[in-house]
Amino acid sequence: MNTSFQLSYVFDFLFKLLGYVQITLFIVASSIVLGLVVGLVLALPRMYQVPLLKQLSAVFVSFFRGTPVLIQLFLIYFGVPELLKVVNIDVTKAPVLLFVILTYTLNSGAFLSEIIRGAVAAVDRGQVEAAYAVGMSKYQAFVRIMLPQALSVSIPIFANKVLANLKETSLAFTLGLMDINGKAQSLGSLTNHFVESYIALSALYFVMAILIEQLFLWWERRMHRHEQGYISPLQELKFSHTARRLRDQKEDALFNSTQGLS
Amino acid sequence: MITIQSLTKSFGKQEVLKSIDLQVQKGEVVVILGPSGSGKTTLLRCLNFLERPDGGKVSIGDLQVNCKKPSKQEIYDLRKKTAMVFQHYNLFKHKTVLENVMEGLVIVQKQSKLKAREKSVQVLEKVGLAEKLNAYPSQLSGGQQQRVGIARALALEPEVILFDEPTSALDPELVGEVLSVIRKIAKEGITMIVVTHEMNFAMDVSNHVIFMDGGVIVEEGTPTEIFRTPKEERTRQFLKRITPELTYDI
Repeated sequence: MNTSFQLSYVFDFLFKLLGYVQITLFIVASSIVLGLVVGLVLALPRMYQVPLLKQLSAVFVSFFRGTPVLIQLFLIYFGVPELLKVVNIDVTKAPVLLFVILTYTLNSGAFLSEIIRGAVAAVDRGQVEAAYAVGMSKYQAFVRIMLPQALSVSIPIFANKVLANLKETSLAFTLGLMDINGKAQSLGSLTNHFVESYIALSALYFVMAILIEQLFLWWERRMHRHEQGYISPLQELKFSHTARRLRDQKEDALFNSTQGLS
Repeated sequence: MITIQSLTKSFGKQEVLKSIDLQVQKGEVVVILGPSGSGKTTLLRCLNFLERPDGGKVSIGDLQVNCKKPSKQEIYDLRKKTAMVFQHYNLFKHKTVLENVMEGLVIVQKQSKLKAREKSVQVLEKVGLAEKLNAYPSQLSGGQQQRVGIARALALEPEVILFDEPTSALDPELVGEVLSVIRKIAKEGITMIVVTHEMNFAMDVSNHVIFMDGGVIVEEGTPTEIFRTPKEERTRQFLKRITPELTYDI
C-alpha cells in the first residue's frame, strides 16, 4: 500500500469531512445557546447577591474553569449515568451526542456567566437609574437598557468562547463521537494517509473559525453603531495617520504665527 | 400638590436628611440651594425612590406613600407621577434621540408607537432638537444631550419634573442653552423642583427657594426673601460665599 503523501487525498478527505461539519457546528451552536441560559442563571445570584446560591454558583464556575474539558467529558459521560442510576433512570442507551452537548453547555455556562457579570458591571449605573425614574420595572430596565449594552460590550470575549468551543469539540471523538475529527481519525487509519487527513481537518477548522470570526466582527460593528467614531483597528491606523498630519500642520501654522510676533 | 412629611434618610451612621417637611404647590418652580453634602440631591432622589428613605411620608397628587414600608406598586406609581433630569444626562446610549424619548411612553405608559413618536417629535421640537431625531447621544454636545434628557422627562407629562443639578456637568458656554429651555418650560406652568448652583436662574425663574444645610431646611421663601433679606445667618454666609456681588448690589 502506497502511504507516501498524495495531494489528491487531501481533497478527497475534505469532501468526505464536509458531511460531518453539521455535527460539529450543531455542538457549538447548541452549547452556546444553552450555555447562555446556564450562564445567565449562574450570573444572576452573584449580581444580585443572593446568599447560598451565590456561593454555589461560584463553586460551579470555578470547577468548570479549573478542570480540563477532556476530563469534564469523561466525568459527565461516565458519571451522569451512575448518578441517575441512583434515582432509577437508565441513560446507558442515550446517544453520546447528548453527553457531549451537556458537557459543553455546562462548560460554556461557567465561562459565559463570568462574561455576563463583567459586561453588566460595565454598563453605567446612571442609565439604569434613568430607566427606573422613567417608571420601568427592574426586569424592563435589565432587558431593555442593561442587556443590549452589556451584549455589545461582550461580543469580542463572547466570540473568543465560541471559537474555543469550536476547537474543543474536537475532543468529543474520545467518546467515540463522529464529528469531523472523529471522521478524520477513521479516514486516516483506514487509508494510512494520516497527514492528508490532518491537513484537510485543520483547513476545515480554520475556514470555520474565520467565518465565525467575521460574523462576530460584523455583529460587533452593528451593535456599536451608536458609538460615534467607532472604527475598526484598520481604519484607526489610517485615521491616526491623518490625525497626526493634521496636528503637525496645525503646530507648524502656530509656530509660523509666533515667528511673526517676535 | 406635593407634600413631604418628616422625611428621614441615613447612609450608615450618617444622617443625611433629618425630618424634612415641605409643601410644593401646583405650577411652582422650587429651587433647592445649599452647600455640597447638605442633602439636597438626596431629598430629590427620595421623591422618586431612587434613594429609599428611612421614614416619613411623601404624597404627590392623590397618591400618598408611607416611606417606612412602601409597596412595589406604590414606588412604581410614584415614579410614574415624576420624571427626573440628571446631572450626567444618563441617556440610553444605545438608542437614538427619538428612541430615548419614546422609550418611557411605549414601555411604561403603553402608548402606541405612532402616538409616542408624534409626542416625542413635538417635545424634541420644543427643546430645539428637531434635526437630531436619529442621532445617537455620543454624537451630541453636552448641552444637546441634556436637552434630550429634558425632552425625555417632559414627554412623560409628569406631575412634577425633578432636576438634579442639570447644568453642573456642562461646559460654561453650554449652560445657557439648557437654562433657557428649562426657563421656557417653567413658563408653561409645569411643577418643577430644581437643585442648582445657578443663582441668577434661581432668582429669575423660581417662585419658591429652599436653603438646606446639614440635612435640614434652614430657610424657605420667595426668591426676594431669600436672596435680599435672608433671616438666618447660615443662609447669609452661604449666599455671600457663592454670590459676592449681591452684597454690594443691595
